[in-house]
Amino acid sequence: MTDPTTSALVAREADASGPGGPARRDPSRSLWSEAFRTLRRRPSVVAASVVVLFFAVVALVPGLFTAKDPRRCDIGESRLTPQGLGAEHPLGTNVRGCDVWAQVIHGAQPSLLLAFVVVGASVLIGLVLGTLSGYYLGWVDALTSRLVEVFLVIPLLLAALLALSLFRNVDLGTGQLASILQPALVLTAFGWMGYTRYVRASVLEARNLDYVTAATVLGASDLRVMFRHVLPNAIGPVTALVPTAIAGVISTEAVLAFLGIGISPPAVSWGIMISEGSEWFTPGTRHLLVVPLSCLLATVLSFVVLGDSLRDALDPKLR
Amino acid sequence: MTDDPTGGDRSSTEPLLEVEDLVVEFATSDGVVRAVDGLSWSVSAGETLAVVGESGSGKSVSSLAVMGLLQTPPARIVRGSVRFRGTDLLSLPRAEHRRYCGDHVAMVFQDALAALNPVYTVGFQLTEALVARTGTSRREARRRAVELLDLVRVPNAAQRVRDYPHQFSGGMRQRVMIAMALALDPQVLIADEPTTALDVTVQAQIMTLLAEIQAERQMALVLITHDLGVVASVADRVTVMYAGRAVEQAPVLDAFTRPAHPYTAALLRSVPRLEALPGEDEDAELAVIPGRPPELVALPPGCSFHPRCQRSVAGCRVDPGPALRLVAPGRRAACHLAEEQLADPPVPVAAPAPAEEVRGG
Amino acid sequence: MGRYVARRLLQGLLTLFLVMVLLHLLTTAAIQLNGNPALAFFGDRVPTAAQLQAVSERYGLGDACYNQLGNPCVGPFLDRLAAYATGDFGTDLRGREVTEIVAVAAPNTLRLFAVVGLTWLVVGMTLGSLAARYRGRAADHGIRAGSILVDAFPVFVMLLVYKFVVTVPMSTWARDTFGAESLPALLFRPSFSPDHPWATVLVPGVLLGLAGSAAFIRLVRAAQLENYNAEHVRTARSKGLGERHVTLFHIVRNSSIPVVTAIGFVFAEALAGAVVTEGLMNVYGMGGVLWSAVRDSDVSVVVGIVTLLAVVTVVVMIVVDLLYAALDPRIRFD
Repeated sequence: MTDPTTSALVAREADASGPGGPARRDPSRSLWSEAFRTLRRRPSVVAASVVVLFFAVVALVPGLFTAKDPRRCDIGESRLTPQGLGAEHPLGTNVRGCDVWAQVIHGAQPSLLLAFVVVGASVLIGLVLGTLSGYYLGWVDALTSRLVEVFLVIPLLLAALLALSLFRNVDLGTGQLASILQPALVLTAFGWMGYTRYVRASVLEARNLDYVTAATVLGASDLRVMFRHVLPNAIGPVTALVPTAIAGVISTEAVLAFLGIGISPPAVSWGIMISEGSEWFTPGTRHLLVVPLSCLLATVLSFVVLGDSLRDALDPKLR
Repeated sequence: MTDDPTGGDRSSTEPLLEVEDLVVEFATSDGVVRAVDGLSWSVSAGETLAVVGESGSGKSVSSLAVMGLLQTPPARIVRGSVRFRGTDLLSLPRAEHRRYCGDHVAMVFQDALAALNPVYTVGFQLTEALVARTGTSRREARRRAVELLDLVRVPNAAQRVRDYPHQFSGGMRQRVMIAMALALDPQVLIADEPTTALDVTVQAQIMTLLAEIQAERQMALVLITHDLGVVASVADRVTVMYAGRAVEQAPVLDAFTRPAHPYTAALLRSVPRLEALPGEDEDAELAVIPGRPPELVALPPGCSFHPRCQRSVAGCRVDPGPALRLVAPGRRAACHLAEEQLADPPVPVAAPAPAEEVRGG
Repeated sequence: MGRYVARRLLQGLLTLFLVMVLLHLLTTAAIQLNGNPALAFFGDRVPTAAQLQAVSERYGLGDACYNQLGNPCVGPFLDRLAAYATGDFGTDLRGREVTEIVAVAAPNTLRLFAVVGLTWLVVGMTLGSLAARYRGRAADHGIRAGSILVDAFPVFVMLLVYKFVVTVPMSTWARDTFGAESLPALLFRPSFSPDHPWATVLVPGVLLGLAGSAAFIRLVRAAQLENYNAEHVRTARSKGLGERHVTLFHIVRNSSIPVVTAIGFVFAEALAGAVVTEGLMNVYGMGGVLWSAVRDSDVSVVVGIVTLLAVVTVVVMIVVDLLYAALDPRIRFD
């Protein structure tokens, strides 16, 4: 899973070297409605939206889909094969006898929650730091650039591996939020750099636009110029990165779970289910891997499709 | 346009490059758009033809079609021919078409900064075609590049061939662009808005240069522009385009003193000038053409210009619109009311005074 | 150009220093929160205070600051810097030199990287160029859809499926058909063998490279498309140059500028992918060593190896920047 900001950043470099490259980033609403109009017409986008919405509902109200508690397991009923809809265990049970259907339903929540928290926080940091460094330049920019490079030097997965195992004995409680707090902190700490660079580039472009200069000359305060004129320019391109970034975090969570760090049991996440299931990938228990993996793939794929189409729609030149 | 008499005195009668009944369509998300609709023009050696029109009138698209540079799709050449000395270029395979143009027809683009490759030195780009096509040696190519830069009067040419395009000023870059077009000794030069991106003072220098080179080499020059001042100063004949069609074709002086099409007349009225027209108030505001250029997706019925035309009558709204027809010796216009328009009092020449000097040089 | 290089080198050194500070603060905080890792040396036995102190001293953990939460431990940090400066990267908990471990592990990782990088480049450039060339047609849609699919598939799942589903029947079949030491049998071995370092790393490397190339394909496509429509390419065509010449000299050459910037990112990513791949395929490489060191709380190995990797990454980033400047005269002459 690539950091989506990378490709976007590179596309932007290409943009700048192309003809009449910069200057064409229309902050107007028509861009958005135009994008929406294009997107609505693509069947892949509609399908992806349906999948994403479905899993969002599953994550928000798991009670709608199952009445079972995924953590109440009967060891006597372990490794049952899927029994089909309407049966006691529609998707069978795992090694400890837990209901797979209930687990996969409840597993959506931590995976998606983590993704939204991490991407939300990273984008926020990126917007703030990127705007500040792009707007003020000088030492603020130098400091931010150095900070970005320091965190870029340590790849996300290595950093997560390091930090999560170093602090794995620190107890934070057992709530849903507490169980994702550590991975969320680490993934955010090593995930904000791309957005910062990206926002900074947008801001650099925007601050030279005539209407921004005009606002500055007319005596608008720095804060006002940043919020009213510069930021709206940067938000468009960053939004296009969000779906792909969410997909990235969901995948990363699975990798972390596989490595034995990340969201900690007894919380159930798709990543944890996948890593458990992969140990039992033998005839009769293949569903233990296939079920959570299918959910993960469907969600990740949908987000990637959404992100890709969104980027296309917001930057028609790449079509 | 074989029945077109030539306006210039220096030109031979044999047309070098002929465009006939060219139709170019673009597939867009809003449907198929006809960007060029039945355009014909021709140009002979030593002659300058100006193709004039607002943006979106199809003047640039037609020149790209001539060069085989249109992107297909979305563009599609529906019909028509482009003949160079009798060879129909459009019937050639595309690669051959481009090679043919490389040898005989060259093009100067509007924005030299974008049109030159930023990662190669000017010297490399000047002789790139020469080296790639004829296998000229590096040393010979370098010598030729310096020669070309000298020709377009870039100072210090021997040093500057090693520079990159971004190290040149706008005017110098456009000179490089012209030098590049001359590298293979073309017989026809198509200049697409060669001075639009430049400062006013530099514009005149570049036009002078182009006119001189053209006169010296007896090239045919096709000047695509929206600047009527430039047209008056260098062109022999003019083709005025509106919404993809040629609406008037005439020797430049005739067209500018007694336009046969209301659109040409309106264009001339909208040019700022130092002296007021006879019978016009000194303080009168500059005339503007009311309305906007039409959307090519939704052209009005009949004559495309009728919604903005002062003379428009009921007949102008009827399909098919007026065809280009002979309205006076050597003059064609696509207007039902061309005779009425011609009867209007003549307009003094729009061009500024130094124009003649440029033309003579 | 000379000043540019000098400035970039200085920045790199500063970054490296800051990375080490960050690493140090992280490990220090971890030790202060989790307790002395030297305890791991004794396993289940409970050591006396003197024993613990002696072992701690040996691993550079004896300083009292490690018991005070929030203390940045500047002293030990400076000691470590001084030791690194003399080429001493410390020892692991069993007393083996970190430099020695790296000397054994690094070649295996480099082999993996070579395979990954080559796959990545060949697949990415070829498919990306094809997609750009046939934009909007079936080939383009197919390549893009494929790259999105691969991108959505986590690398470790791909490797898992390969290891558990593909290798066993394939290697059994190859062994029976060609013999145990034959190339096909080695290619599909489910785990790494130090006797055949190239053959056994090839397939996992290609898989990892394929996963990484998905994003690279889209990037090459975007960069080339940008140039297909560029005005300078139109100029080149107007000069009557052949399409192959135009593609090579004006499209590929110009699109290489943004593509080069991606190398740095992809390198970092391959490093992360190496941890999973080496762990799964039992490759004794940097990723695998780091992984087990982290598990054993072997602080000096972790810090040593991450520092080394950071050095390599910083060097790669500087090289990318210099390459960028070499490829784009507009930057070189600023």
